[in-house]
Amino acid sequence: MTRRNFASRAAGPLLLGVPTLFLLALFVVPLASMVVLSFWRTENYHIVQDWNVGNYVTLATGGAYVTFLIRSLVMATVVSVVSVAVAWPVSYAIILYGGRYRLLFTLAFAVPFLTGEVLRVIALQGLLGPLGLINGVLMALGAAPLRFIMYTNVASAIGLVYLYLPIVVTVIYLSLLNFDARLIDAAKIFGASPLRAFFEVTWPLNLFGTLIGFALCFIPCLSATLAPRFLGGPNGTLYGMAMAQQFGESGTWALGAAMGVVLFLTSILAVLAIGMRVNLRRTGFTGFGRG
Amino acid sequence: MKPHGFNPAGNRLSATQAPRGPGGGVNRRQMLKTLAAGTAMAVAAPYIRPASAAASSLRALMWEGYLLPEVIAAFEEKHKVTFAPTFFDGNSEAYNKLRVGGTKDFDLVQADGFWPSLYFREKLIRTVDYAKIPSTQELFPVFKPDQYKLLTDDATGVQFGVPFCWGSYGITYNTAQMPAEKAASIECLFDPAFGGKLSTSARFEENIALTGILVATRMGTKDKPRPDGKSFNPYVLTDEELDGVEKLLIEQKKLLLTRYQDNATLAQLLESGAVVAAPEFAQVYRQLLNKQAKGEIDTTFAHTLVPKEGGLGWVDTWLVSSGVADGAKFDVCQSFIDTMTSKETMKKIAMASGCSTTIDIRSLSTPEEQKLYLMDRTGELASMYMFDQPSSTEKWERVWSRMQAA
Repeated sequence: MTRRNFASRAAGPLLLGVPTLFLLALFVVPLASMVVLSFWRTENYHIVQDWNVGNYVTLATGGAYVTFLIRSLVMATVVSVVSVAVAWPVSYAIILYGGRYRLLFTLAFAVPFLTGEVLRVIALQGLLGPLGLINGVLMALGAAPLRFIMYTNVASAIGLVYLYLPIVVTVIYLSLLNFDARLIDAAKIFGASPLRAFFEVTWPLNLFGTLIGFALCFIPCLSATLAPRFLGGPNGTLYGMAMAQQFGESGTWALGAAMGVVLFLTSILAVLAIGMRVNLRRTGFTGFGRG
Repeated sequence: MKPHGFNPAGNRLSATQAPRGPGGGVNRRQMLKTLAAGTAMAVAAPYIRPASAAASSLRALMWEGYLLPEVIAAFEEKHKVTFAPTFFDGNSEAYNKLRVGGTKDFDLVQADGFWPSLYFREKLIRTVDYAKIPSTQELFPVFKPDQYKLLTDDATGVQFGVPFCWGSYGITYNTAQMPAEKAASIECLFDPAFGGKLSTSARFEENIALTGILVATRMGTKDKPRPDGKSFNPYVLTDEELDGVEKLLIEQKKLLLTRYQDNATLAQLLESGAVVAAPEFAQVYRQLLNKQAKGEIDTTFAHTLVPKEGGLGWVDTWLVSSGVADGAKFDVCQSFIDTMTSKETMKKIAMASGCSTTIDIRSLSTPEEQKLYLMDRTGELASMYMFDQPSSTEKWERVWSRMQAA
């Protein structure tokens, strides 16, 4: 066997093997540990290796945890829908009018990522809070402050949209970048109005990119901790925040692990639910190859 | 050759050291081997450092607010050690870290209230020698071992910690918005008259414990014999009391603007008038008074140190991890504690963190500072319930979660 043949044969397993090992070590093993821990219990900061399903029973019957999960599902859905609704016209405008600065415009959306997430959320807390820019200006003008943006779920939602909108914009922009705009011209030539051309050509052929953007916003929102903690107020506890509490001050790690497993399964189910309703071949997905 | 030294540049070979090929040049295989060995050395270096090198670092698990860079730098210079702090927020977080092998990762630890005795019982910390920490001579009487028993082992009478700063979880309030007689009771934090203008911290233990004092007072169980035969401790509540706490916390929720996450947020909320009263460690109160003294704000704030039903108190302490054996490292640990509890450092810490000190720094303080930092009120500590570990974190967690979901 020549050295070149060996290299070409080794390249595949090597290229796939390294990330596989990486995922096994840093994702599968911790996840398996989490599953095991979820079947143990804690007692005053001590892990008791006593196999039981008590944590799952607590989650199912405790009421509070179901409430947190429902709140998070609703929050993640609302935030993802709003993000997609905002990101679409923004991405479309960049494609249509961005000219040679299109990439620059898209990258500009990533500028906030140059700072930490904590900083961004705290900055937003300052903006939306009682002394923040919005309410400060309103009060200086003699108007009443907007209480619904001060430590409420609305404030959390604003924070989450702010955090994840750049991702959604980037994904939809990339989808539109690969879209053949001549198809719109073809639709118009055959008599379609711009609106009809959009809904029957542009939207469906970029649906896959849109769904990826939706999922990349929806899943982290489900486990969001910082935004509800700093912006959400007394009624703003979401599932991720409650889960973080188990690993923090309360030290109820086993219950937290069970919450993590439930969150993981919920995320997978959500992605499957979205994926099963979509015909990938008709949504601009190009991952099937030429065959 | 240094027997224990590791050359920091060991993963790099100079031109004169590099192995050469048959023709005097470096062949590719040799170069690759050298690079691989160098890389392996670099990766392994942190793990193969000799034990003697470990004495050159001092690792502390501590509250961030007590870190004074200039004091640390001077200590590092004097003792030729590197100080490596890791910060935590609450006792339970530090306890978790210590329990999962932290005694090997940390030399110095901070904790408050009853936590040091729990650490000692669980062999997470070791005893200290007050004779090697001369600054302990300057402790206020109430914090000396004969009066403050929480850092002394009952069985042997030896000390396992040094008191550092102290305070309460009292109520800071806006005097123009809340009368002093209202603020003298925990009831003010549950009074619908102040709905939307109250705030509490996000710490579940202290919220439940403080509410527990009020519930036990209302139920009349605070001064009656307790199931455990001991005196009332708000961290050891009966199921009936916990039910009462849950109901009260749910009622309180609609009265709160928010649960503050940090002192800066609370200071802003109080300053703006958005919040009129909140329980806190008096640090924000002192910041606000300082601002008022400088003419930066007009509002007057006051602080209820111990509400009439009883209040929560804390004494932050310095402890030495059980991972530290007798010897040079232990000596450095005690020297560090001595430096941190010296009068001069304590004065700086009081000014920087806004905490009262356990060391008597009255000789270095103005009458205003003595008043502000409660230097003549250390005796009130005896009437406070010390921060403690909840009797059942699982039960307390359920109470807190149900309240959050309600």
